[in-house]
Amino acid sequence: MSSAHNHAGVLPHEPEKATLEGRNKIIGFWFFLGAEVVLFGSLFASYLTLRNQVPEGPTAAELFQLEVVALSTFILLTSSLTSVLATIALHRHKLNALLGWMTVTVLLGIAFLGLEIYEFVEYVHEGHTFVANAFATSFYTLVGFHGAHVAFGVLWISLLILQTLKKGLTVVTAPKFYIAGLYWHFIDVVWVFIFTVVYLMGKVG
Amino acid sequence: MSSHHEPSAAEGQHYKHEGPKNHYLTYIFSILLTMFAFAAVIYGELETWFVLFFIVGLAIIQAFVQLVYWMHMKDRGHTFPILGMILGVVIVIPIIIAALYWMWW
Repeated sequence: MSSAHNHAGVLPHEPEKATLEGRNKIIGFWFFLGAEVVLFGSLFASYLTLRNQVPEGPTAAELFQLEVVALSTFILLTSSLTSVLATIALHRHKLNALLGWMTVTVLLGIAFLGLEIYEFVEYVHEGHTFVANAFATSFYTLVGFHGAHVAFGVLWISLLILQTLKKGLTVVTAPKFYIAGLYWHFIDVVWVFIFTVVYLMGKVG
Repeated sequence: MSSHHEPSAAEGQHYKHEGPKNHYLTYIFSILLTMFAFAAVIYGELETWFVLFFIVGLAIIQAFVQLVYWMHMKDRGHTFPILGMILGVVIVIPIIIAALYWMWW
């Protein structure tokens, strides 16, 4: 790894793709995202199969509050924008802007998680528990898995920020931010289908 | 890969950094599509099947636009991920059609 760090303090353009290791990380990450698509695809398929199986407990149309969902959607969409602004800062070698936008992304992610926890607590009070019916189980598995991905992203990007504060922006740390950005966009793309298929379709019937 | 990527002085002067404009446009477009989807469900007096197709269509468009701009598919060097995605879609669509046919008819 001796030659992988900065060459005489000059960082290449697109530092995330400057080394073979960096390029391999990005390709490898696309394989990972492919596997994630299969995972979420299966969870969506189970949800669509089971969403009307409500022998007892509230149905989707009775349960969901679209105001909260709209707010969550807005927060996550904005965080996806801030993470791509971080990638632009990465390409321009602006360390402070990169860390700043990534910090905003993490804070928005935490806000999203807070809203989701509030939402789930409300649902449990209304009798929509994990074991209430097949609709509830598949709902919590799908939406909860997405929430777990957000939580993991928050933790991962926070650690990356701390590491880069220590090591600075190099051809080793740059691919990590690029990949974290891809991950965060992926989370937002999954949410697009969750608010459509789970919440909006739940209201339509 | 014999080519290496340290920038020469000439390359450095001609290199154009990508600006944030496309990303802001993607953001505004995504918000608009989301608002249309919510509005169709909240205010729409439309047929159920039409609303379903409409909002799922909007979701697919939004995912595609975000994939192209935010996940950098339009940038060079993405042939391999794009081929993988096309292959995945080509395989998945017959599976979905076959599975639906199997269950419903």
